[in-house]
Amino acid sequence: MAEKLKEKENRPGWIASINPWVLKIKNNPERVAFVLHRITGLLMALIIMAHIYVTGTPARVGWDAWAEEIAKAHGITAVTLYFFFFAGIAWYHGLNGIRLLLVEFFGVCIGKPEKPKPPYLAPSLKACQRKLLYLVFILWAILWAATGYILFAS
Amino acid sequence: MMGSGSKKLLLQYITAILLIFLLTWHLVIRVPALRGVSTFAETLASDKVYHEITAYGALLLLFAYTVLLHAFNGLRNILLEWTDGKYNALITGTIIVLFFIFAGLATYTVVGITPPPASG
Amino acid sequence: MMSFDPKAATRTPPKVVTFRIKRYDPTTGKEWWQDYKVETYRGMTVLDALLKIKEEIDHTIVLRYSCRMGVCGSCGMIINGMPRLACQTQIAEVATEANPIVTVEPLKNHPVIRDLLTDFTTFFEKHKKVKPYTIRKDIEEREKGDFEYEMTPEEHYNIYEYTLCISCGLCYSACPVVASTDRFLGPQALAYMWRYVADPRDEAWKERLELIDTDEGPFSCHYAASCSAVCPKMVDPAAAIQRLRSALLKYRLGMYKKERIAQKKVVEVKPNPKPLPPEAQPVPGADPWKKNEEPVNIPVDELIA
Repeated sequence: MAEKLKEKENRPGWIASINPWVLKIKNNPERVAFVLHRITGLLMALIIMAHIYVTGTPARVGWDAWAEEIAKAHGITAVTLYFFFFAGIAWYHGLNGIRLLLVEFFGVCIGKPEKPKPPYLAPSLKACQRKLLYLVFILWAILWAATGYILFAS
Repeated sequence: MMGSGSKKLLLQYITAILLIFLLTWHLVIRVPALRGVSTFAETLASDKVYHEITAYGALLLLFAYTVLLHAFNGLRNILLEWTDGKYNALITGTIIVLFFIFAGLATYTVVGITPPPASG
Repeated sequence: MMSFDPKAATRTPPKVVTFRIKRYDPTTGKEWWQDYKVETYRGMTVLDALLKIKEEIDHTIVLRYSCRMGVCGSCGMIINGMPRLACQTQIAEVATEANPIVTVEPLKNHPVIRDLLTDFTTFFEKHKKVKPYTIRKDIEEREKGDFEYEMTPEEHYNIYEYTLCISCGLCYSACPVVASTDRFLGPQALAYMWRYVADPRDEAWKERLELIDTDEGPFSCHYAASCSAVCPKMVDPAAAIQRLRSALLKYRLGMYKKERIAQKKVVEVKPNPKPLPPEAQPVPGADPWKKNEEPVNIPVDELIA
């Protein structure tokens, strides 16, 4: 009599879209970008709810409560730190979002199909989306630093 | 008839394109140098905020609705993907309720605003 | 990078390499890592080493392989955390003197049958779902086959890359979307779909675009591009999916139309200008150009005698 054999489900699950190193794929910064886009997207969804709630203060509670809140936005405080992280998340999501719009919506920046030649590197991995990706990381750092300067300098 | 696949992503892309402009505006008006003040906190002063909400109320609401559509549609897509189709109705229902709660809150922020007390 | 690195391929690997293999026993459901030490030689691939282990150390290891030269796409496995073809992976590429350990796991996203052997049933079902064959409205015309559909070299290169797919399942294994949802068709099937949507010889582009406008289709892709990064044949599924998605969105907005549908061109079969030399004549008196009309009578008895 044959033994009962069970196959093992081998899908890593949602963790694969949170951890880019579930697989250690070389030459694949797009995967890191995807994971960051997803994490920042999730965080943004949560922060936007808080943001809409807090900016409703003048109408909900009154201008005194608003003034009290704003008084905390000087120097390095919980309020400015919150804005700093919010801005960092928004900058990345926005900048990478522009790149994704070009690639996914307009279907550009992914190179042209070509005849395979050594070193057999897929055209989309050397197309301008890759340069845009590095540009996204550079601009992210610059804009985040500038935001920090505006928030904390006063 | 548009398939479910194109609908959910078209919404995401169209709101994304709008958000590029709306978010840029939203962030630029918080830059002290462009507002003629010296600190970030001063751009949030009651009279400035009141002026923004009354003068650009419609634009602010468009921004709020667009950002909520983009955020909740995105959140829904992620949750649907992660749960592999097990709780579709529950997720969609929760997302729609959340959308209306926060869209209502945003609307009230603009509609229910009163002038700040005159300060010295 | 799945790209070919001639330097790594000609390097000498460490003399003794430890292979850490993920085992799975389907009778008990137990899984464990097992180490094997293998003496290597220059040019030894991971598949060579696995077969050496199977022959000399442990016969119970189960894996799938066939051609040993990166053509059949059977021996996909995760080597040092990256999906690769075992037969195309030189040990010198993945093991160094400082770290002479190579981990080998079964492909992710495919159910494991035993050890390194994975079940491709779902994968091929998804492949079939996208109708991976040319569809012409006139079936009779197609079946006759006394003509060809005209195609320019540019049109050929637009799809040539995608025709190189060997269905090894590496891209499917690398995809972070398939990892969380089983409904997504996956990079291989969608790249195949684009290959037929872009192929001027195929007439069913509308039906194809309608077919994949679901949650299973290209909209579930988030461009992690891992599929293209692991593809051993430079197929570039990531770009194919973006082209498919863009085409589908344009189609929905009424802005997409296939550039050209190839028309049939009757091919004239020219008679051979030079007669075949006497030694090439298989049967005296038989004309190979008339073999369809007059079946050749092979004098078997005479030939044996």
